[in-house]
Amino acid sequence: MKIKTKKILVPLDGSKNSLRGLDMAIHLARQSHGTITALTVKSVPGIYAIHPLGFLDFNTMKEIKKNLDDAKVRAAKKGIKLTSKAISGDPGYDIAKFANDRKNGIDMVVIGARGRSSAKEIFLGSVSNYVLHKSKKPVLVVK
Amino acid sequence: MTSNNFKKILVPVDGSKCSNKALLRSCELVEVFNSKLILLYVAEKSTPVNLLDRKEYMELIRKFGNKTLERATHVVEKKNISCKTILKEGNVVSEIKKVVKSENCDLIIVGNKGLGAVGRFLLGSVSNKLAQHAPCSVLIVK
Repeated sequence: MKIKTKKILVPLDGSKNSLRGLDMAIHLARQSHGTITALTVKSVPGIYAIHPLGFLDFNTMKEIKKNLDDAKVRAAKKGIKLTSKAISGDPGYDIAKFANDRKNGIDMVVIGARGRSSAKEIFLGSVSNYVLHKSKKPVLVVK
Repeated sequence: MTSNNFKKILVPVDGSKCSNKALLRSCELVEVFNSKLILLYVAEKSTPVNLLDRKEYMELIRKFGNKTLERATHVVEKKNISCKTILKEGNVVSEIKKVVKSENCDLIIVGNKGLGAVGRFLLGSVSNKLAQHAPCSVLIVK
């Protein structure tokens, strides 16, 4: 196995497309014996990200936790280790930042073509587009 | 999900550094997934300066395309991977899409920018259009 993609970042938002991205990442990770990092970004409009009360939104937090747990179960069934992470901020910006951070050591980003915001659009979602442009790591867009 | 869903991988090459990177990355994937590799060069049919020059111009581009494909095959064959090469003429993105449909490719691997110098820091126009309009998954190698 020469493939170098050891650590794969999968941004999740609970939509069907992001789950497809997860499946693809699991498939890749099985071949390369890599690990997956699942990242959920809670969308917080600008100023609330700094404000401590911005984090006190229990309902969405619960939903995010559930999504991440589902992802963990899905990966564990295939024997892949998945570390989950939830942060709050602007989705596109923070995913790109996370991917570029050398500390995290991400080798590849696997992202669904569309998220939940523009389900009916034929085109690429805005977040995927942003990550595609700003990430310095290879990006796999799953359709 | 089936055990192997990357049966055919399409790599559009244009002879730039980034497309070479994409080629190397695709070699890795081909080795792991045992998939078929298709190399594609699209000769851009741009508006001609002079009608008489057109023939000569296309010939030059075709020659360059053949050379690029040959070089790419050479790189691939060094790693003991067989590949199929296709040379097309027309608009780059639409030709790539046509090939994807006719060959039933599962994955396109492109470099993040090609020979165009303008988008040096940004995503190339072809890669961008492919990512938005391609019917299959796209891997963009940086």
